[in-house]
Amino acid sequence: MCKEFMLGNEAIARGAAEAGVRVVAGYPGTPATEIVDLCGGYPGVYAEWSANEKHAFEVATASSLTNQRSMAVMKHNGTNAAADFLMHVNFTGIRAGMVLVTADDPGGLSSQCEEDTRILVHNYAHLPMFDPSSVQEAYEMTKAAFELSEKTEVVFALRPVMRVNHAGGLVEHGELGAESRPAEFVIDRKRFVMSAVVEKESGGELRPKMRHRWLNAKQAELRAVMEASPFNSVEKAPGETGFIGCGIGYAFLKEAERIHGAKLPILKLSTLPLPEGKVLDFVRGLKRVVVFEEVEPVVENIIKQLCFEHKIVLEVLGRSGYLPKEGELSANLVLTAVEAALAGKPYPAPPQGQYVPARTRTQCSGCSHRGLLVALKEVVRGNGGVVTGDIGCHDAGTFEPMNLQATIYCMGSSIPMAYGIKKAGFDKPVYALIGDSTFFHNGLTGLASAIYNGADITVVIAYNSTTAMTGFQPHPGSANNLNQPVAPIEPGAVAAAMGAKVFRCNPYNVEETARVIAEATAETGVKVVVAEALCYLKFGREGRISYTPRQVAVDVAVCNGCGLCVRTFGCPAITLSDGKAVIEPSACNGCGVCVSVCKRGAIK
Amino acid sequence: MKFDLVIAGVGGQGNILASQVVAKCAMDAGYNVVNTETKGAAQRGGSVLSHVRIADGEIFSPLVPAGQADVLLGFEPLEALRYIGLLSKKGTFIINTAPVPTILANLKVDEYPSTEQIVAVIREKGLAGHFLNATRAAKELGNVLLTNVVMLGAFTAVSNILPPDVVLKKLLTMVDEKFHADDSRAFAVGRGLIGKEG
Ligand code: SF4
Ligand code: SF4
Ligand code: SF4
Repeated sequence: MCKEFMLGNEAIARGAAEAGVRVVAGYPGTPATEIVDLCGGYPGVYAEWSANEKHAFEVATASSLTNQRSMAVMKHNGTNAAADFLMHVNFTGIRAGMVLVTADDPGGLSSQCEEDTRILVHNYAHLPMFDPSSVQEAYEMTKAAFELSEKTEVVFALRPVMRVNHAGGLVEHGELGAESRPAEFVIDRKRFVMSAVVEKESGGELRPKMRHRWLNAKQAELRAVMEASPFNSVEKAPGETGFIGCGIGYAFLKEAERIHGAKLPILKLSTLPLPEGKVLDFVRGLKRVVVFEEVEPVVENIIKQLCFEHKIVLEVLGRSGYLPKEGELSANLVLTAVEAALAGKPYPAPPQGQYVPARTRTQCSGCSHRGLLVALKEVVRGNGGVVTGDIGCHDAGTFEPMNLQATIYCMGSSIPMAYGIKKAGFDKPVYALIGDSTFFHNGLTGLASAIYNGADITVVIAYNSTTAMTGFQPHPGSANNLNQPVAPIEPGAVAAAMGAKVFRCNPYNVEETARVIAEATAETGVKVVVAEALCYLKFGREGRISYTPRQVAVDVAVCNGCGLCVRTFGCPAITLSDGKAVIEPSACNGCGVCVSVCKRGAIK
Repeated sequence: MKFDLVIAGVGGQGNILASQVVAKCAMDAGYNVVNTETKGAAQRGGSVLSHVRIADGEIFSPLVPAGQADVLLGFEPLEALRYIGLLSKKGTFIINTAPVPTILANLKVDEYPSTEQIVAVIREKGLAGHFLNATRAAKELGNVLLTNVVMLGAFTAVSNILPPDVVLKKLLTMVDEKFHADDSRAFAVGRGLIGKEG
């Protein structure tokens, strides 16, 4: 045993390495991102960035079938991308221990939504899940998940939330050195060929129904596993009101208990399926329980059903109405709820806060996206066009001051959204703005669909050679893969091969970019504009930038303080002071884009 | 023993390094430590809050609950105001008064409050602490990037949880040797600012 300070994601990687994981595949997405890179640092572990989460899941499953322990890593909405495969692997089961890490982001701190993957993975796919309450537990659960997965032949999911992934704490851990095992792929078509074929030995039933029966029968075994699990426990104390903490909810509950200053009856529930025996023991004799979980009332509803089946009269309070239904829990929220519940009162309405000016997000000063956004805006303001957006650093162009993209949903939706607008009869030009990583993730099929369906749109690919938003992971369009040099797949070449008309420009040159986009717009069919420039923040550190740096300054004699450079452009290095624009030299990275933004020529 | 520190600032101000120095010193001293950063959905220049929780027993929540922080270090006045509710009534704040304007304030969508307004709002809450211009001090030392070190020095002057020389030594192990002289000076200047502020 050794004690070390670790981030939650480091602890998960450590647990996996100690459990003998051999293949780890994922797609970057905060809060899970670091796990893949960290796993790749352990000897004997193959780690990869897959083009999307479904492929990561498929690679990991195939490794498990080949007798090697494996792990697929993604964030909550990435699990949606993998859902198609998830709904098959639950029926087939797996061979060597396999873990799905699906990191949730309650509060949507760095996401487009705050969905709760327990519904998809447990309620829907009927797979077991661990919900860690601390960094230490994230480590222990990862190890346990591999063992249990192998024993029960089902994928185990670990569902850390942001507050676990990105918390740091002391972790007591063990040694590396799991034995390597032979890579054997044993063909078993009855399990691993999921197809509607008739099974002779079961009286002619169809295979999907047989495997469904297998999955349902597994649930009893999984419940027994969870009943025995040390991750669920009871803390006794007198009182008629009990408190249930799930995952990080337990940590906040313990904190609230400390501030409250008196011992509370607490049930810690960190697994799905629930340990029904433990739950029933805990609730018998209580009048009410309050369930603290992120985010949906998943455990709360299961407990209600359980009490109904066992004819137990119990008030079960939680996320279904007593507590706020949206957003993160916190120690203060839990404390308020504990004190209200003990007093038999409703959860009090939160006091109206005092607005403190927000810090909205934007691109770095020196980022090429700003030039691209400004050029695209110039074109659409002229022709009344609409821009559909996608995920990436450029998506901040949706907000003040750029106000450009009209829609943002999920990875890859910009292209089908764009041609959907056209197919609905919109007669002005429509543009889809997408990044390179997203293009490979889920843009390729959308582009194929657009071309196949005779769309008339302009797709703009911001090709900066990295997945910048999550911390610069590579993708098929990057010239490296986990630090190994590779030949990049150039998005323009792919689009051309698919049949799109391809145009190219350097987004640092606003005039050129606007001209190229306008040229592309004039053509009919699916046009692709590849705006290629390296991500300033990543490659600038390596001394590689896609522009010739220049010193810019505002000529105060020419500047009339119109504010265009601030109000519609928004480089963080430019502010207005005493009616004139000011460029802060320490914040400016000399990209020169602002020079073409000031129509008076005041920036030189 | 329980000691909760929060550092509120803007991405790029070096508050994460400062929180790591404190966390590492506390670990070396044998305490249990839990820390985390909460960043808004920001590329660069967004709001960043670091939590460092130190105790000689178990620590559960990685986030410092409201009203529980023993010290709040505000690297930027607006960010200090945003998170002032985390500070305990018995706690101490150290707030750098040099503002970093927000984009929306530049656009006149929001109004960035004056330093006097921020000071007044915080004073009104009856909290104790120090307002100082760490950015100016760092500039006078020749580099704005020393702001975090000035703040760290000031921290060791208000809290005796960790000996100042230990904190400085730890900091120096975490930065390039060529900055050691500057960092040591900035640290001392920061310590000296406490009690002298106007
Ligand atoms: S990280 Fe790179 S792509 Fe993202 S905003 Fe900064 S420079 Fe632009
Ligand atoms: S620099 Fe140009 S765009 Fe900016 S305020 Fe002055 S005149 Fe207007
Ligand atoms: S001020 Fe102008 S040159 Fe400097 S980073 Fe911003 S856009 Fe680029």
